[in-house]
Amino acid sequence: MNLISMLLAAPLCGALLAALCGKRGKYANYTALAAEVLTLLISVLLLPPVLAGQGTVLHLPTVAGGLSFAADGLRAVWAVLACFAFAMSGLVCPATLKHGHTRYQTATMLALCGTLGVFLAADLYTFFICFELMSLSSWLWVIHEGDAGAKYAADTYLAVTVLGGLVLLMGLFTFTIMSGGTPGFEELQQMDFSAFPAWMKYLAGGLMLFGFAAKAGLFPLHFWMPMAYPAAPATGSALLSSILTKCGVLGMLILSVTMFRNDFRWGETILALGVVTMLLGALLALCSVEVKRMLACSSASQIGFIAVGIGLMSLLGDENLLAVRGTMLHMVNHTLIKLVLFLGAGVFAMNCGTLDLNRLRGAGRRNPLLALAFFTGAYSVAGIPGGSGYLSKTMLHEAIVEYTEILTATGGSIVPYMHLVEELFLLAGGLTLAYMLKLFVTLFLLPPETGKKPLRMNAATMAALAIPSALLWALGLAAHPLTDRILDIMQPALTHEKTTEAIAYFSTGNLTGACISIAVGIVVYFLVVRRLLTRDGKLINVVPGWCDLERKVYRPMFLRVLPGAAGLVCRLLDCSLDGVIVLLRRFVLRDLGRPRRPVAGLWLTDALGRFCDRVLDLINRTFRRKDPVEHRSYVYIFAEKEREIAASGRLIAVSLSFGMLLACAGLVATLLYLLF
Amino acid sequence: MEIIWLPLLLGGFLMAARPLRENRPAMTAYAAAALVLECGLAAFRALSPGFSVTLGWMAEDIEIALAMDGLSRLFLLLCSALWLVCGVFSFGYLRKDKNAGWFFGVYLLVFGSMAGIACSANLLTLYLFFEMLTLTSSLLVFYSGTHEALMAGLKYLFYSIGGAFLALVGIFCLSRMDGGLVFRPGGVALDTAALGGDGALLVITFLMLAGLGAKAGMYPLHSWLPSAHPVAPAPASAVLSGLITKAGVFFAIRVVFYIVGADRLRGTWVQYAWMSLALLTVFMGSMLAYMEPVLKKRLAYSTVSQVSYVLFGLSLLTPVGMLGALLHMVYHAVAKCGLFLSAGSFITQTGCTRVDDLRGTGKPMPVTAGCFAAFGLSLVGIPPFSGFVSKWYLATGTARADIGFFQLLGPAVLLLSALLTAGYLFVPAVQAFFAPARAKTKEAPPVMTIPLILLAMLALVCGLMAQPLMDFLTPIVGAVL
Repeated sequence: MNLISMLLAAPLCGALLAALCGKRGKYANYTALAAEVLTLLISVLLLPPVLAGQGTVLHLPTVAGGLSFAADGLRAVWAVLACFAFAMSGLVCPATLKHGHTRYQTATMLALCGTLGVFLAADLYTFFICFELMSLSSWLWVIHEGDAGAKYAADTYLAVTVLGGLVLLMGLFTFTIMSGGTPGFEELQQMDFSAFPAWMKYLAGGLMLFGFAAKAGLFPLHFWMPMAYPAAPATGSALLSSILTKCGVLGMLILSVTMFRNDFRWGETILALGVVTMLLGALLALCSVEVKRMLACSSASQIGFIAVGIGLMSLLGDENLLAVRGTMLHMVNHTLIKLVLFLGAGVFAMNCGTLDLNRLRGAGRRNPLLALAFFTGAYSVAGIPGGSGYLSKTMLHEAIVEYTEILTATGGSIVPYMHLVEELFLLAGGLTLAYMLKLFVTLFLLPPETGKKPLRMNAATMAALAIPSALLWALGLAAHPLTDRILDIMQPALTHEKTTEAIAYFSTGNLTGACISIAVGIVVYFLVVRRLLTRDGKLINVVPGWCDLERKVYRPMFLRVLPGAAGLVCRLLDCSLDGVIVLLRRFVLRDLGRPRRPVAGLWLTDALGRFCDRVLDLINRTFRRKDPVEHRSYVYIFAEKEREIAASGRLIAVSLSFGMLLACAGLVATLLYLLF
Repeated sequence: MEIIWLPLLLGGFLMAARPLRENRPAMTAYAAAALVLECGLAAFRALSPGFSVTLGWMAEDIEIALAMDGLSRLFLLLCSALWLVCGVFSFGYLRKDKNAGWFFGVYLLVFGSMAGIACSANLLTLYLFFEMLTLTSSLLVFYSGTHEALMAGLKYLFYSIGGAFLALVGIFCLSRMDGGLVFRPGGVALDTAALGGDGALLVITFLMLAGLGAKAGMYPLHSWLPSAHPVAPAPASAVLSGLITKAGVFFAIRVVFYIVGADRLRGTWVQYAWMSLALLTVFMGSMLAYMEPVLKKRLAYSTVSQVSYVLFGLSLLTPVGMLGALLHMVYHAVAKCGLFLSAGSFITQTGCTRVDDLRGTGKPMPVTAGCFAAFGLSLVGIPPFSGFVSKWYLATGTARADIGFFQLLGPAVLLLSALLTAGYLFVPAVQAFFAPARAKTKEAPPVMTIPLILLAMLALVCGLMAQPLMDFLTPIVGAVL
């Protein structure tokens, strides 16, 4: 039996079995864990054929409209990583989940199947199908806790997912309009796009980019991350951040090296979006006072780093080896780092019931393993020499420098701009160190407020923290024997260039870049975090409340303005024919047999009264909705008034004084006539 | 032949025999037996070799004839399967209703008309059965007898007969151009010079399409749907929405692909006008459904939108588009029947009709709410549910058709509408499960939940294994295009 079909079938069976566990949620956890470990083992079996230079392929022409999968070096490694992340988070599940194990684990199994499908997809159609499965089943993680915050976050997540999926689909359709079909990735690589109109190509690419960026969390579609990650259980947010975002990233990656290889506009756009995301995420993380929110913002920031790499991959065209290797390694690093950090955050959430940094001061002091895990993550992501993050960031930095040099040599007009990108890249690296320092110092070094007990962890959780940490150190320290090998396996799918010589990671130039970042980080930590972001010994969040794209722009826009306007037009259309019929019946057939309301008082008071009634109704429905004005119908009020006035008028008319008054007036008139 | 008169006879007898109608157990047994017999017979007929008979002559040149071809088989199979499922559900839905006998009588009559439509061999026979369908199915709308139901029923009659009248005008004109108007794949040889040339033919075709749009719920004659559905019993709404609207689509297919011929329409203003109207309806229907607070009315607007997906696919006049349209006709029928039945189940168990009242029904009614969610997923077009397959073909068909600007606009509108569909179906489904559980509510009895489960499984399996159905449809499409 084909390895890929086994790999996809195992989680599906797991989902079925987990769903059958029903109310015995404990068994669902173990079923899922067993399926995850099994999938991990199968996925490792994908590697030997890849090392031997041949991939595994699978075509399922009759399932869901024809799916096809392939496992080359890049995909096989990612499949292994995905299974690894799921297995690690599965180890922690029994200890952290409080309820709804069955639902959670069923969703996890489906998400695993979808994720593997995305990583192994051989064409855009399969990619899309698995992408949807992965996105929708992971929604159940976000809503899992079921409280108001989780629901709010889950609504946003679902909306972004559905919208992103549909826009991605529109991209596929545009592609179909352009080229007559949705090709496999192999064909995509060899396709000649100069035969098609350029705007079509950019439209298709832009739409697909929207769908991928929504999943990856690229600015301006990053807003769901700081909401969804804190809402989900730690195991879920670990997977969302470490693996699921990479599905979106992978999509961007594939487009950048196939459709948009050597494409200046595309590369610049992704590069610019990456730079913005990188800085914005880092700043938001620096200001966060909640562990998971900070990690979520950090995720966005790191995705920004990766996007910078992807932009460079497209820009550098056929000489993109450094960018490819840097991006790949940073993706792998980020997966492992966020896995460790989110699972570590889960330990805090489970023991202390909160993730507020101010309440968690020094909470982790007596837990060397937890401290070590956090230290590993922070050390690596901050890009300090010795950590694996240093290697990837160095390569990305080198790629920026390389591109700047090429531009300088050819006299490109955006050289100053690229210098700025380089500086911002180093700055973002420094900010990363600053917020990681803030996190680590607060959790593990500051004196606790009261004598806190050590946090409890079971053996499975310890294993889930220790294994990825060990891997991270291995990747960082064994740069040439291990890391380079892995990158050699992954790169053939993305670049035509061959590795000629090993990169000197620890050369003076590279170390200088890292030192600048570290210096910036330390300065920012002591000047900004300790001074500006701390008040009375408490960390504060200085991001103002109105700075919320989602609450202030997207929600009102998509829930009020657009449906309101379109709805009005549609309602008018809907009523058009009915309206014509009613008018015809009233004016041509005159058969609307509704009895006419008798006029109260004069027609003038009647009309005036009805007008006033309507005005007041309108006011009640708009301005005073909460506290409507009670009133009698003005029609009758006016009619009574009119009757009173008429009655008094009659009284006057029949009185003697009125007669005398008239006589007087007559005399005066006569007098005046005589005088003039 | 007997698949038409037998249901009419059995249904008529049930309506006429008052003692039988009022004796609950006997009525149930009779109706169940009649239903199974009818649907089984129809399915058997649809799967056995074709036939062709002439019933008689209404006038010298007006022949009443029946025949069976691929399209008939599709329609007949679809009707008989869903009719049976909705019928089973009705036994649960109407278990406390004293007039249930009436309902089942009418239900059988309508099935007879549908079978007649499926098997008609020429345009006039089709028209006669079409009018019969309008008259009999209006009784389903009138059923509850309230003032609202009467007004809605009258509106339904008015729109349907008005639309059919336009079709009749077309038939008169077409019959001047040709003698028999017998369906022939790819269109009959019309002598357009007999009546004003090709331009006149186009005007006639457009009138017919607009008129048939009344039954199919296409703008501007769509507005009977949101009035009629909330007042009819849930199983009646299910067949009205899932199948009877498709009779309009079926008629349109017969006119365009079997009488006029797609080649005569391709690239003309009629194609673009038809396409525009269908697209407009797709968007308008889903937008109004999104804003609608009453559940069954929301589903009715959803039907307006989804049936126009089918019409849009047909209006492309390409094989892929038509394949997508036929697939969507089947899948939408399954999903929409399921949605209306779930709505009926909610209504009988909670007594509430508004969407907001569904909050928290997921815990006490897991089967109904779960099936509702599954049908929603299918209708939105989330893989691997069936709706995705049909929408994929519709959209790629559009993308590959030679229709200029509509190539891009079509998929965009379809996707926008899918987004709105997600908005109006996912939100209640999510609220059903993730709100505090509703007290004092119980799951519907098995006679109601089993049909729901069957339909939900059908909606999933049709998506995962779409190939057999596509193999069935491809010859139909291949014959006419």
